[in-house]
Amino acid sequence: MSIEVKNLVKAFGEKKVIDDVSFKVNDGEILAIVGFSGSGKSTILKLISNLVEKDSGEIITSGGDIAFVFQYSALFDSLTVYDNIAFALHERKDLRKKYSEKEIREIVNEKLALVGLKGIENLYPAELSGGMQKRVSFARAIVTEPKVILYDEPTAGLDPIASTLIEDYILRLRNETGATSIVVTHQMSTIQRTADKVIMLYDGKIVFSGTPEELCRLDNEYTKQFVTASIDGPMKIIEK
Amino acid sequence: MALVRQILKQTVTYKLFKSILVNLIDFMEVMGHITTCTVEFFKSLFKGELDRKELITQCERFGISSLPITLSIVGMTCVIIVSQIAQEMVKQGGGNFVGALVAVLIVRELGVIMSGFAIISMIGSSMASELATMRVTEQIDALQTLKVNPFGYLFAPRVMAGMLMMPLVVIISSLFGILAGALTSDLAAGLSYRVYFDSIWIGIFAKDLFVCLAKAICFGGVIALISCTFGYYASGGAKGVGIATTRAVVWSFVAIVIIDMLFAIAFFF
Ligand SMILES: Nc1ncnc2c1ncn2[C@@H]1O[C@H](COP(=O)(O)OP(=O)(O)OP(=O)(O)O)[C@@H](O)[C@H]1O
Ligand SMILES: [Mg+2]
Repeated sequence: MSIEVKNLVKAFGEKKVIDDVSFKVNDGEILAIVGFSGSGKSTILKLISNLVEKDSGEIITSGGDIAFVFQYSALFDSLTVYDNIAFALHERKDLRKKYSEKEIREIVNEKLALVGLKGIENLYPAELSGGMQKRVSFARAIVTEPKVILYDEPTAGLDPIASTLIEDYILRLRNETGATSIVVTHQMSTIQRTADKVIMLYDGKIVFSGTPEELCRLDNEYTKQFVTASIDGPMKIIEK
Repeated sequence: MALVRQILKQTVTYKLFKSILVNLIDFMEVMGHITTCTVEFFKSLFKGELDRKELITQCERFGISSLPITLSIVGMTCVIIVSQIAQEMVKQGGGNFVGALVAVLIVRELGVIMSGFAIISMIGSSMASELATMRVTEQIDALQTLKVNPFGYLFAPRVMAGMLMMPLVVIISSLFGILAGALTSDLAAGLSYRVYFDSIWIGIFAKDLFVCLAKAICFGGVIALISCTFGYYASGGAKGVGIATTRAVVWSFVAIVIIDMLFAIAFFF
């Protein structure tokens, strides 16, 4: 399943957060979106998954589930880890009767093992660390094996090993089920290990588009500033 | 020109009109939200999306956890009324009607409206803050991305629980209030229980009971619906949760008084 975005525009009040953005992610590809804080990365993902209404432009997906891994986990805090992960299987109308509770338990255990968190299914989200919440949130989103997955900073705040676990799984999902993914990330390791293509956003516009190797080549003023984490450059992050 | 505008902007009239306008726009917006949510609620019912398990949880919360407060509020209201009137009525030779008066007051108005107030402050506010928290922490977005309709999963069980449990709450608290009245009239005016209870049915007719239950169903549904609506449309972090909760409480209070008035006009005018 491919995702195509054409001339997308979104403003909050006066402020154009997404200003005429176009890109295409082919079937089975992984696109990384990078950019400074507040550049509209989360907003793009929310536009694609229809959580935020666009002002104009087109978003073409070929239907089917779009899973979303939220930046701040967004776990249901009144439910246990088990019920969070099993949520879609328990509550979604078309899946409600599909699996027996035993099958659901197996699926949940499998997903928990995948993110390296066995034996925590009876805890509540508030009893987990931030990184653990993030991994549970990841497990919850992929429980239905969706064909399009949007990751909002899936590895931010995780230790290197947990990051690698998630990165491996992003790749594995793609290789096994052919899922198409968009990964918003700041982490070079995640970009280099998972992404086929990278776009960079600044001020609502795409200022770079290419492969991870091209991103690191430092021949674009914007990517150079990003990769070298420099304060001086075309992108002004400190308001004057 | 700019100066004139600046001076004009400082006048009380300008400020008054501006605040009326702002409030009016705000009012229209809230009405729009409530309408949308009502429509979506019924749609989710017809599509069979009401979540049974959640319904039971919400019924427990609405009906049982609220009882201590509703009972004490309605009970104390009756104690207050009886201690004010019982002695005087006995003195004037109307001792036979103390029970009737309490029963009429409770069944026609006080039982349901006092329970309503108690439910708003206890259940309505917690529903509003719960949904608002879910909104600002993106849990409602998460529901949507997991393809679960927030109206079927969050609204429907709460509103249905309100409509189912509110009559029960009103019946129990009214009975309790009438009992509290009996006790008080015995203590305050030496009125026998027998006289009190014999007079209860003088003033109450089947119509009163019917209207009372109809009101309870409306109140329960409206309180849950308004509270959920403000929670659902909350925005902006912890402060947004606070604002949503306050507004839900205020709007629910006003709404049930208006509904009560409409009932009074329709049935007792
Ligand atoms: N619901 C909203 N209402 C108003 N403004 C919003 C809303 N959501 C986002 N914004 C604004 O849009 C801009 C982009 O926000 P977004 O969350 O997409 O940034 P981001 O690139 O994901 O940043 P970060 O890396 O910090 O997560 C910000 O300036 C933010 O203030
Ligand atoms: Mg973001």
